[in-house]
Amino acid sequence: MKNKIKEWLKSGQIDIFLGYKTLQGHPLPHAFGKDNLEDIDTLITGSNYYPLEKIATKLVAEKPDIKIGMITQDHSQRALNVLYIWNQLDPENIKPLKGDGCSSNLKEHADDSHREAGKSGQFKKQFGMNTHASIEEAEIFAQQERFQRWMYEFQKCIKCYGCRNICPVCFCKQCSLEHSNLIGTGSLPPEAPIYHLVRAVHMAGRCIDCGLCEEACPADIPLRLLYRKVNAIVTELFDYETGSRLDQSPFSIIGESITLKLKPIAAA
Amino acid sequence: MTIKRINFLQELLEFMGLGGRLHLEWISSAEAQKFVQVVKEFTEKIRHLGPNPLRGFTLNNLTLDVGAAAGTAAKTACPEPKETVAQN
Repeated sequence: MKNKIKEWLKSGQIDIFLGYKTLQGHPLPHAFGKDNLEDIDTLITGSNYYPLEKIATKLVAEKPDIKIGMITQDHSQRALNVLYIWNQLDPENIKPLKGDGCSSNLKEHADDSHREAGKSGQFKKQFGMNTHASIEEAEIFAQQERFQRWMYEFQKCIKCYGCRNICPVCFCKQCSLEHSNLIGTGSLPPEAPIYHLVRAVHMAGRCIDCGLCEEACPADIPLRLLYRKVNAIVTELFDYETGSRLDQSPFSIIGESITLKLKPIAAA
Repeated sequence: MTIKRINFLQELLEFMGLGGRLHLEWISSAEAQKFVQVVKEFTEKIRHLGPNPLRGFTLNNLTLDVGAAAGTAAKTACPEPKETVAQN
């Protein structure tokens, strides 16, 4: 694997390789360049996951022609697909190299074990939403109780924007979450549930279920469950499985595709 | 497409526990009776659902309400739910 990367860098197939390196005991994302090929020997593989796709997006925003190689996992391929669809990355300039590890429920064979969310405590299970609950389990409660449980979760929010900042498919320059007309500013917790629902709606047809948001959340809000539901609705209504194909998100299509053709103007 | 988008929102709100409060209907300007009927029905429905739980929502009443709403479920999950609330 390392030799392959060196070869790619030497031959100029890629300008930079995004992978992981242990820095002061922590596996952290690192960009390997062609100036220092020996550096690649320090590349580590495994179940580490940071949004490398997001880093790539930022690099491309600075240097549109840069060719990037990167270590990918199952969900990163979906993230890349979403970014291709939204024209944030060009598939011609990205060279994915399959690493290992995957954490998604969207795929049956996914190995979830190493990135399991922390256990939900008694209080959370009793009054909030269990992080490990499936969509069905979250729907057992009656409407009023469901509302109370979600509000319990949302009011813990400290508006750190961590969920958005870590998200590999969040790339907008202007974010609705920061728009003062949409979401009131100056109070904590942020306006619930609008803050969370705005993000949930924006995750429709975009969220690739990598689970980073939930991992990043300091308040332990079961975001993944919420976004999973959002995308289950999208699949049900629009027959669109996010990240699995390269067609446009149903939300960027204004109407059904036109089936009628324009009539030629009849000769007078 | 609008139907689907509204359906999407309805299902999301339902998941959040705010279901049934969003309705979509096409009514022509020539269909006054239909308009009256739809508005009447929807008003009835909303009245039945009660006031918007978000109105006047504060954090303080949340924990208490949660305790009340969790009710029976709480008893099975934890022997003394009231104590847990007090700790919070």
